[in-house]
Amino acid sequence: MTIAFKPEETFRGDYSYRNSDAAILRFPFPFPEDRYMYSVNIEPHTRSGPSDVFLRPFDVDEHYIAECRDRAITLERDPGRCQVLPHMMMAQWDTLELLMENLSADYPELFSLTKEGDDFGSRWTWINRPLGIEQSFIFGDADTLPCEPFEYITRQAQGDFAICDQRDDNLYMDAGMVTAQADWSLEFDVGMSFMEWHGPVPLAHQAGVFERALKYLLMLRLGQPVRRLNWTMSINPRLDTSPESFPEWGPDRASVTPDNAGQKVHLRVELQTLWRLPRSNAILFPIRCYLASLDDLARVPKWGKRLNRVLSTLPPQLAEYKGLSRYLPAALEWLARHDDGAELPVGTEAGVTTLAPR
Amino acid sequence: MMHSDIKSRPEYRALEPDLAGNRHLLVIEGETLQHGRLDALAGTFAPVAGQLQTWLVGAPTATSGLGKVWQLAGPDAVLDAFACASRGFGMGDRLYVQGTEPFLWSVAGAAALIGFGPGQVQLHHAGSLRRRVWCTHCHAFTDGVTTNVVPCGGCGRHLLVRDHFSRRLGAFMGVMVDAEAPGEIPAIEEVFA
Repeated sequence: MTIAFKPEETFRGDYSYRNSDAAILRFPFPFPEDRYMYSVNIEPHTRSGPSDVFLRPFDVDEHYIAECRDRAITLERDPGRCQVLPHMMMAQWDTLELLMENLSADYPELFSLTKEGDDFGSRWTWINRPLGIEQSFIFGDADTLPCEPFEYITRQAQGDFAICDQRDDNLYMDAGMVTAQADWSLEFDVGMSFMEWHGPVPLAHQAGVFERALKYLLMLRLGQPVRRLNWTMSINPRLDTSPESFPEWGPDRASVTPDNAGQKVHLRVELQTLWRLPRSNAILFPIRCYLASLDDLARVPKWGKRLNRVLSTLPPQLAEYKGLSRYLPAALEWLARHDDGAELPVGTEAGVTTLAPR
Repeated sequence: MMHSDIKSRPEYRALEPDLAGNRHLLVIEGETLQHGRLDALAGTFAPVAGQLQTWLVGAPTATSGLGKVWQLAGPDAVLDAFACASRGFGMGDRLYVQGTEPFLWSVAGAAALIGFGPGQVQLHHAGSLRRRVWCTHCHAFTDGVTTNVVPCGGCGRHLLVRDHFSRRLGAFMGVMVDAEAPGEIPAIEEVFA
C-alpha cells in the first residue's frame, strides 16, 4: 500500500486541503438512516467496518504530513494545547508505546520501531519516514527524547488525543494534545471529571447517556478498544476550530450562501476510539478528524441525499450547540438541490466504487 | 443555598462538621460573614470545637467562638499558609471553606496540592453570585461579573458568559459573543446578582 501524501496542503489561510476521490470514498460517513438519531453508538474497534478507515487501529491517510505540520503551527502559537498533569508520566509512555507499535506494524513502509539492549530491550529506535525522523531513546527515560513522550508521539500522529486517568470510579481528563478540536478548550477542561467536561452537551444528560457511557468505560479492558463516530460541521477545511481561535474562524460562519455552501461547508467526522493503557490503567482517547466538503459528499449520491434529510431533522438545540444555526439554512438549500427524494438503503456505505468526474 | 443546572458546577452544601475527622480547619472569606452568622457557625461546629481552628480571611474585626481564630489578610495569605508544610495536615483532617466561588476554588486548589482529598473538603458558597470569567481567547480573568455579556478585562472582547465552570480555574468560560458577526451584541442583562 502506498499513500500519496499532499505535504503542501493547508488547513488555514488559503485552505488548499482537498480530498482525492479515494479519500472521499473511504470517508467515515456517520448517518445510516434518513433521520437524525442521538445515540452513543459505541462498538468494538475491530479491524473491520463499512469504511476502510476502520481497518487499522490508527488510520494514516494522504493528509498525514500536512496535518502534522498544522499541529506544529498551532502549538507554536499556543503551547497550552498540549497539557499533561504531573502524575501522568506512566500514561505518556503507554501512549507512545501503543502508537509506535501499531503504526510500525500496520505501515512498515512508513514507520519502524526496533527494541534492543538491556532491561528487555529498553533501547528503542523509531523511524518516521514521511516526517524524516529517526530517534533513539531509552523507553522510560524522558530525558532521552526531545520533549515529553506524549507530546513527542502525538506530534507525529493525526487527530487529537486525551488521556483520562481512572480513579474514584470516575475518569479525569488529565492530559491532552488538542489542536483539531470541535470548539472545546483543553486549557479550560484539563483535570475535569467525565460529567464536568460533558457539562455543556444538551439533551443527553437528561437521557442518562453519560452515566451509562461512564459505567461502560470504567470497565474497558486492555486489548479490547472501542470506537464511536461523532460529527459536526466546519466552514472551510480548518482543523483548529478551537474556542481560543474563534475570533479568527467565527466570521466564516456568516459567509455561507446557498451558492458557495458546496465548497465552504464541511462535514467534520470524528472517529473516537478508547484504549485501556497497560501500566497506568488510564484510558487513551484519540479523536481522529475527517473533513469532507458538501461538494465531496454529493459526489456520492447516497450521502448527499442522506445528509440533506438528516440535517433537516436535527433538533434546534443540537444545531445551536454544534454552532450550525447561522448557516444551516443555506447549507440545506444547497443540499436540497442534490436530493431527488429517491429511497435510500439503510447503512453508511457509499454504495459506489467510483465517483463521477468533478 | 444555590441550585444550578450546570453540570460542571458543583452543588454546594451547608457546612457540617465531620465527626470522623481528627482536626478541623474552617476557612472563611470575611466578606461573606453576615451579621449573626458567626454565632450560627459556632453552634454548628460546637461538637468539634476542641479540635477546631478558624482562618478568617480579610475580615475587619477579631472574633471569637470558633476555636482558635487566625486572621489572614487575603486569599494569598491562605495559599502561603497551606504551602507551609510545617502545619502538617494529614488524612484524618477536615477542611471547611465558606466564601465566594473564586475563593472556594483557590483554597480548594491549594489544599489539594498539600494532599487534601475530595472526601476531606467541604465547600459552602456564600455571598455574591457574581462570577469570575475566564477569557478563552487571552486567558485573562474578569472578576465580579453580574451580566450575561461582559467586556474582557484582558483583551476587551465582549464575552458571552457560558454556563460551563472549571474548578481548576474557579471560573466560568467566556467566549467572544460577536465573533461570527462583529458588533452583533445581544442585550446586556444583569443575571448574576
